[in-house]
Amino acid sequence: MDLDKLRKTAAEVVSRDDVKYLIGWRRGTFGYRVAPHFIEDAAGVDELIFSPLCIANLANYLTLTEKLPVPRGQEADTRKVALLVKGCDSRAVAQLIVEKGIKREDVVVIGMPCPGMIDWKLLAERYPETDVAAEIGWKGEDFLLIRGEEEITIPRAEVLAEKCRLCRHPNPVLSDITIGEAVEPWAVAEDSGVAEIEAKEAAERWDYWEEQFSKCIRCYSCRNACPLCYCEDCILDRLDPIWVNRAVNFSENTAFHLARAFHLAGRCVECGECERVCPVGIPLGKLNRKLARTVREEYGFEPGLDPEAEPFQASFKPDDPEEFIL
Amino acid sequence: MSAMLLNKEKWSEFIGKLSGKNLWAPAVQGEVKKYAPVAEGETVELDEGNTTVPPKALLFPQTETLYRFSTGKEELEFPGLDEEMVLLGVRPCDARAMALVENLFRWDFDDPYYLKRRELTTLIGLACNEPELNCFCPSVGGSPDSTEGLDILMTDLGESYLLETVTEKGKAIVEEMKDLLEEAPADALEQKEQLAKGAREKIRRGIDPEGIPEALPQLWEDPLWQRISAPCLGCGICTYLCPTCYCFDIQDEIEGSAGRRCRMWDSCMFAEYTKHTSGHNPRPTRRERTRNRINHKYSYFVDKFGVIACVGCGRCSTLCPVNIDLIDILRQVKAAQ
Repeated sequence: MDLDKLRKTAAEVVSRDDVKYLIGWRRGTFGYRVAPHFIEDAAGVDELIFSPLCIANLANYLTLTEKLPVPRGQEADTRKVALLVKGCDSRAVAQLIVEKGIKREDVVVIGMPCPGMIDWKLLAERYPETDVAAEIGWKGEDFLLIRGEEEITIPRAEVLAEKCRLCRHPNPVLSDITIGEAVEPWAVAEDSGVAEIEAKEAAERWDYWEEQFSKCIRCYSCRNACPLCYCEDCILDRLDPIWVNRAVNFSENTAFHLARAFHLAGRCVECGECERVCPVGIPLGKLNRKLARTVREEYGFEPGLDPEAEPFQASFKPDDPEEFIL
Repeated sequence: MSAMLLNKEKWSEFIGKLSGKNLWAPAVQGEVKKYAPVAEGETVELDEGNTTVPPKALLFPQTETLYRFSTGKEELEFPGLDEEMVLLGVRPCDARAMALVENLFRWDFDDPYYLKRRELTTLIGLACNEPELNCFCPSVGGSPDSTEGLDILMTDLGESYLLETVTEKGKAIVEEMKDLLEEAPADALEQKEQLAKGAREKIRRGIDPEGIPEALPQLWEDPLWQRISAPCLGCGICTYLCPTCYCFDIQDEIEGSAGRRCRMWDSCMFAEYTKHTSGHNPRPTRRERTRNRINHKYSYFVDKFGVIACVGCGRCSTLCPVNIDLIDILRQVKAAQ
């Protein structure tokens, strides 16, 4: 990774008159944490990083950032937002464009071919976090943890994030500027997490999800971290009528998670943010990947690969399969 | 404060006797550690580290029925709150949080639900010998062996637990368990002091909050709030899992001719929290909500009750998915002064 080139490019982009700010990553305040970094002027690029800990999908901020009404007599700020994207993140941007959630011309996409990210929780099991933000890079196929004088090589397979193990699009599918060379996509094994659940009997599967959804505390971090969950008026927040009760129990939690999963079918780009941010470890990735795979296998459709595509749930082909319709 | 010693050989017997009293203790469920009921015959293994979900969830449940009602019936049906409860292995920060939160529930109105549960609950704490990465209780007036809010404080001495009685409720438990306990020798107390001192020395992070409550109102329009809140997801992790956050909402749930009025946790980080019926929201963005969260803990609560509403458990910093780190925020507040 050519960090100098990234910072130089970023400085050029944020200095442009038509760019409001650039969203990238910076080292966190401790351990293996990395924070989204909002850069408004060239001085901010010094903190910009791209490391195996930059797992967060920043495309979320394109729709999360509030758009307040413009006071009378003032002009709306129509400048672009520049964004650093990995392969999966770029798919979220493409899908947002497909859905008209954002306009292509409103974003400057800086593509980062991605060799794969670390699941910091796996890393912390082997090398506990400290109060100093760790420095981590890639070393060939593997990862390199630098702790003061000490350099520790960590085999890729030990700490690679699950979503990266399953990734088939490590290179950005769209970008205005690309930093670095495209990476060679790696061999992807079967999705063992999903297969494990598919292998269960229906009753066992129900028990599994009952246990998982019962843990939910309804903090909505999964919904809020999802770049494609961006309804201005989410049904979960509606009070009249109340579609999903505020009560936290298995029934209401299930209504929440299944509603979200269905709404993401054919839209989820498998960036894994929902599962990553969950404070109680609900394996939401498995649920969304199962739906994504069904859409891929049954309809030959993969969302977020082409910003010009028709949205899956709004398109119909005469030869769409219908074997599952009772 | 009397001090007794419980040899670990008698631990399962101790748990056995407690488990008849609606006993709850930290248990690992998958990735999460949280309080779970201990059935009779089960044992408990206490280890280092705190639970993800704080024990506030047992005194102030995330969803709680206030009463049930039905059409054509004038009487409301109130839940019977009469079951005693023993919480084992409560960390001093979480117990202290309960003591702080009580200020609110006793403020302009005595909250019968919270206070009744508090009265029915005995808290057996466990001093921290190995504080976690983001622990900073000494910065905000706590300590790894604080007894505030606890009925009994236990300290793991290796071969045995030292039990220090703090309240009458604690004394009653110790009295019941006296066959399993022995008088603590002076060297056990000495060992405990050494462990507590060691624990304080192991705390890696912290901040001197001096001046922060006064600085916050001055920094109302400071650009730091925009900077801090820009990455915020607006989720409820930092508030729901905070042991001193107590905001709630009240809703009716009606099915057919019957229903219940219940209260449930609410979060100042949600847009809906301050949204008016008109659609106007006085805290329209995550900037105002983040500012409120910090001001509430480090300024408003101090004005009202004379104490910071943070016990330094570090959960918000540890669990935030985008590294919004309370200690870092407080540093920025001090730097902006």
